[in-house]
Amino acid sequence: MPAIALVARREIVERLRERSLWVSTGITVAVLAGVLVLPAALGFGGATKGTVAVSGPQAAAAARQAVAQQRAFDVELTIRRVSDDATARRLVRDGDADLAVLAGGRALFAAQDADDSVVSAVQGGSQAARGGRLPPPLPVVTEGGSSASDRQGIAFVAVVILYGQLLGYGFWVATGVVEEKSTRVVELLLSAIRPRQLLAGKVIGIGLLGLGQLILIGLCGVIIGAASGQLDVNGDVVAAVAVVMLWFLLGFALYSCAFAVAGALVPRQEEIQAVTAPLTILILASFFLSFGALDDPSSTLARVLSLIPPSAPMVMPVRLIAGNVPAWEVVLSIALTVAAAAGLIALAARVYGAAVLRTGSRVTLRAVWRATAEQAPAGRRA
Amino acid sequence: MRIVLGVLEPDDGAVRWKGRPLDAPARARFGYMPEERGLYPKMRVADQLVHFARLHGIGATEAHAATARWLERLGLGEVADRRTETLSLGNQQRAQLGAALVHDPELLVLDEPFSGLDPVGVDVLSEILRERARAGVPVVFSSHQLELVERLCDAVAIVRAGRVVASGRVADLRARRGGRRWRIAVEGAREDWVASVPSVLVAHVDDGAVVVELEEGADEQALLDAARRAGRVRRFTPEEPTLAQLFREVVA
Repeated sequence: MPAIALVARREIVERLRERSLWVSTGITVAVLAGVLVLPAALGFGGATKGTVAVSGPQAAAAARQAVAQQRAFDVELTIRRVSDDATARRLVRDGDADLAVLAGGRALFAAQDADDSVVSAVQGGSQAARGGRLPPPLPVVTEGGSSASDRQGIAFVAVVILYGQLLGYGFWVATGVVEEKSTRVVELLLSAIRPRQLLAGKVIGIGLLGLGQLILIGLCGVIIGAASGQLDVNGDVVAAVAVVMLWFLLGFALYSCAFAVAGALVPRQEEIQAVTAPLTILILASFFLSFGALDDPSSTLARVLSLIPPSAPMVMPVRLIAGNVPAWEVVLSIALTVAAAAGLIALAARVYGAAVLRTGSRVTLRAVWRATAEQAPAGRRA
Repeated sequence: MRIVLGVLEPDDGAVRWKGRPLDAPARARFGYMPEERGLYPKMRVADQLVHFARLHGIGATEAHAATARWLERLGLGEVADRRTETLSLGNQQRAQLGAALVHDPELLVLDEPFSGLDPVGVDVLSEILRERARAGVPVVFSSHQLELVERLCDAVAIVRAGRVVASGRVADLRARRGGRRWRIAVEGAREDWVASVPSVLVAHVDDGAVVVELEEGADEQALLDAARRAGRVRRFTPEEPTLAQLFREVVA
């Protein structure tokens, strides 16, 4: 077995033995179950929110009447006026609206899992707008896919989990590096294998563990959601789980090497917080910025943030789950993240070996970089 | 030692092994015990040794067998499944030795291997080192326990401020420094008889005799003559310094 695999295997086996991993998995699943089940069980959540797309004056009149009597249906409607029926249909298909009033108020087009009370409210509004004694309800055409609010909910849960995994497992890389440094075992390790092998094995091992935990959490979430009837397990949910996995791997590739280098700079566990602070802040900022994308996945800010590397691993998944993203943006975002990760991995491979053996006091990245630059011409750097 | 193991880059010069510049695969066949002791604190002792054996390129089956063998030999058989951090310091030290030995290295480099060992541990390690050397494995270790070094080593090097100030076989070193030092017992002589001998540099009384050091190139026969003039010479023997004395001289 090659050295990298041996190091990765040790990380996985030893960490699986730690109770803290299982406790954290349990807590995450419990929180997920709470988010999925509690609001319905306790009757929280208030009025059901719904977005209605309308085009033309008759449709708008129906929508106005629906808003006027929305309290009776316990709904809260948002009206989006669009220029034509095609646009209204697209909003529903894209998940940006739950329902569209079409053909001058003569037909409804609903997302497959649009809330019944939202549909009823609009039906009621349409009847009121058309006047007379209870004209027949409008024909409803449904459209596959989840409603906008469902997709928003899934995207929110996804980004919270992504944030937790990226920060948690990044931190694990840093503490793992410092543990080897502070216990001096690193010197023994590096007498047997090269710094690159140690770094790669550690990052791959912890990353696989994070992915495994993510799969477990995702599976539990889907099972709990389906069993409680709160989650309609359809293609969107499966796609969301896949998106989270993919972006965990991309984000972990991006952040983990930076965490490893940060860990290699300090001699003691107590100093990890300080040295990783810039990374923590970056991840936290990306996390909060992704909320903007949750509200409006197509805004310029969300689009830019979902393309550039530090924020892409959290903003892009939100846009992918909550809205529709052009293929070229997804490709560009992945390409930029992979390129940035490759750059960071190269940087880490260069400074990690030099930094990790400097025990005693904290070293600066600049000093380590200079030291490796001096040694580089001599070649033979492991 | 760190340069030999590739943990530190040399400022100058090169490390050669069997006539060739040392590379990583050859280095993986070395066994090392760093001065800064360190093992994974939370890992079980046996798992730890297996891990290190495998990092050195040993197959899984052989790694387990070698681990069991060495744990038994080092007296750690009963604590094999305990976390390393729960072991006594002496036992952690033994585990550290295990990590250096478990892959049956072609060269052993040990930095102060005896420090922190109880007398039984010292005996066990001494025997292991002798046995390895007999099996043709060069053993290089550093120590300040010079009596132990004298007993165990074929050759020594004394290092001061990063430079070798004396090196060679222990017997040669002692003989080279000898020849100028003599132990003389003279019956019925005045205590200060030595002071009248011009070529004597230093002298001290030790165990009823006088130990003197002569000037470079001085004739010991003149010293013997002076002694006979002073009284009845009962003893006149070349005094070979112990390694500890040698050390004091070259490092001072």
